Amino acid sequence: MGKNGSSLSDVRVLDFTGELGPYAGKMYAGLGADVIHLEPINGNPLRNIGPFYEGITDRERGLQFLYYNGGKRGMALDINKEKCRDIFLKLCENADLLLESFAPGYLDNLGLSYDILSAVNPKLVQTSITPFGQFGPYADYPGCDLTSAALGGFLFLAGVDNDKPVRACDNQAYRMADAYAAVGSSIALLFAKKTGIGQFVDVSCIESVGMALENAAQYWDLEGTNRRGRGAEAGSASVHPCKDGYIAIVAIMGKNKPMWGPFVEWMKDEGVEEWEVFQNDKWIEPSYRRSKEGNEVFCRVFERFAMQNDKLSLYERGQAHRVAISPVSNGKDLLENPQLKHSNFWQTIRHDNLDGNVTYPGAPYAFGNLKWRFGNPAPTLGQHSAEILKELGYDENEVNTFAKEGIVYVG
Amino acid sequence: MLANMKRALEGIVVCDFSWVGAGPITTNVLGQCGAEIIKIESTKRPDILRKGGPFKDGNSEGLERSGYFANRNPNKKCISLNMSHPKARDVAVRLIKKSDIIINNFRVGQMEKWNLGWEDVKEMNPRIIYVTMSLQGTSGPHKSYMGFGVNLNALCGLTEQAGFPGDRPFGTGTNYTDHVMVPSHTLFGIMAALLQREQTGKGQTVAISQLESAISMKPTDVMAYAGSGDILGPLGYGDPDAAPHGVYTTLGYRKWIAIAAFTEDEWYSLKKVMGNPEWAQDGKFSTLAKRKENEAELNANIEAWTKDKYADWLMEELLQNGVKAGVVNDARGAIEDDHMRERDFWSYLDHPVVGSTLYNRAPIVFSKTPIEMETAAPILGEHTKEVLTGILEYSEEEVEQLTAEDVLT
Repeated sequence: MGKNGSSLSDVRVLDFTGELGPYAGKMYAGLGADVIHLEPINGNPLRNIGPFYEGITDRERGLQFLYYNGGKRGMALDINKEKCRDIFLKLCENADLLLESFAPGYLDNLGLSYDILSAVNPKLVQTSITPFGQFGPYADYPGCDLTSAALGGFLFLAGVDNDKPVRACDNQAYRMADAYAAVGSSIALLFAKKTGIGQFVDVSCIESVGMALENAAQYWDLEGTNRRGRGAEAGSASVHPCKDGYIAIVAIMGKNKPMWGPFVEWMKDEGVEEWEVFQNDKWIEPSYRRSKEGNEVFCRVFERFAMQNDKLSLYERGQAHRVAISPVSNGKDLLENPQLKHSNFWQTIRHDNLDGNVTYPGAPYAFGNLKWRFGNPAPTLGQHSAEILKELGYDENEVNTFAKEGIVYVG
Repeated sequence: MLANMKRALEGIVVCDFSWVGAGPITTNVLGQCGAEIIKIESTKRPDILRKGGPFKDGNSEGLERSGYFANRNPNKKCISLNMSHPKARDVAVRLIKKSDIIINNFRVGQMEKWNLGWEDVKEMNPRIIYVTMSLQGTSGPHKSYMGFGVNLNALCGLTEQAGFPGDRPFGTGTNYTDHVMVPSHTLFGIMAALLQREQTGKGQTVAISQLESAISMKPTDVMAYAGSGDILGPLGYGDPDAAPHGVYTTLGYRKWIAIAAFTEDEWYSLKKVMGNPEWAQDGKFSTLAKRKENEAELNANIEAWTKDKYADWLMEELLQNGVKAGVVNDARGAIEDDHMRERDFWSYLDHPVVGSTLYNRAPIVFSKTPIEMETAAPILGEHTKEVLTGILEYSEEEVEQLTAEDVLT
């Protein structure tokens, strides 16, 4: 498998993650790796998180669960049971990568430390994804998306002046750690492929958000200032209301006068009332754009125009004038976005158990040979438990006994 | 780090035409894992981030004082190569023949103009991974639209919910997508292609769409709309599955603490740390659903409790009692945070112009291969001679000749 170069099907991944970590395994599944999602008998807690398909709360309808675990097979097992240990070791024996998001020390206490797994399979890469990492003063503390974003310095940037910060959607501290876990694992996998030596990879949310501080750490180190978010300077990364929502615009950055010209042209061509005010060179000065007067004038003139137009039209007309303007998209805008329609980005996947179709984001990249695919719908609870146990060499009777004893759940 | 550890990407050579944000962040991570990064610049076309603040002591003179540039480019070698000179291509071709990866984030067509598009490059080196990064793909009605990270944040749907109800949306306050979605997908794409090369012996193209990679890490808004017609509203600092889940004022200038309770156990522990005040026993806060219903009042009560306390002391007490809490650190706070320091997340590297300044490593700790922070960002053209006479095998005389002809500026 995979010899023709179109998939990573020779890479086998065990994905024992929950709310934190699932996108890492999805990145592998998207390129055709055999990813087995392991979850507790009573289900991955992500199954209980909304929104739900058609608004109906049910463990098989959580949209986030369905997205992040699409393309994976699924097995439900009780890792705390002694007899499960053998099953888990067998799984690890046949795997290249174990992704897990247990609290530090949890697997060790079950007699499943990396040393033990590595003794069974020396080329195994184990990647742990946690809020604070395996060591350091906070390692044993509880954490979540909000608190890791806060401690890492990322949350602070999402506001101006004395305003409290806001959060972006979809638990971005988790997603950053997921993505860097996929990356770190892939680097360790290449090393293992070349040398036969696996290793333990420690990825934390608090460090991952540290990658998203832009230049804030350097502002403190070089100039002694603690910056906050952009957005307080009119026309330079500012958000403005329009007829059906909001747009974001970067008509100028710093003192880049050539960048401002196309914006003024656009305002003129649209016949915007008072457009002439933008001809004044004072707009080239960031301090003017940040001033009360600058902000008021920009908003008065630009927003009077914007409020008469919808976001898509402002986007297309502004861009035609080489102005960096974009819609502040919501779910509807994205689904209807002409560019994404053109690339057939959205994937509509039939779910027999839901008797309907679910729409998902598609390929984040395109390769010459590797093919991205959504794959099968996310597994229902325990859907592939029996199949996977049989692949490990257990027979029908053993599988039934495991199920009866609550060691696995066979869906 | 352990001495003599073998580096994970030892022997991988990267021909790096990328500049500004996502490209250099990608090659930065590869370099820290042991790949040899050869960054191509020119005094005629320096990486424009060299002119982006902050600057050491606020002094923006020259091209070597930007911390924005520096943090994306440690551990790299920089050659200056004037690609507008016809003889420059030969130098690039020699490098391409020695490289495992070639990466650029130019507008579509620039590499082809130099006859360095994929079709040409694969003839020179069939094992090479050829990486391109477009904003929204290379065909379609918006293919040539322009945008910065802030635009992409808005376009991909990250900004919409990041605001307080009734206010205009705010977003992350940064060019978020440039720093996270795009480099992480580029890195994974490169590594997948390298893994595949172990099977096939062949290189391939890796094309990142910035918009599409960004959406892949924030799927919910479209799925909710497509699944039930719902438009998801502003989050503020809240979360639909937790209450309290917020940012509360404490003592000090712009000092807040983040506190979250997802379960009844966590809420119980929080009440205990607060000293079980009477308001918290009220029935309107007795379940998650009820706390969500009365969230504004809940938050006001909690803030009345936090506002005369020190955020760091409060965090310690909450964490020890099993409550999720974190100081909302500004950059200084994150740099001085004990946990980040003990994990060696930050490092200071010496640079001939600006001295010792701050960098961060990739957020990955390997048990057997090092992440190395060895050299500060390069001076423009610092390694031209070293690279040409070294890996590219030019003689001293040839380098002098190329220099005299204005090829290496």
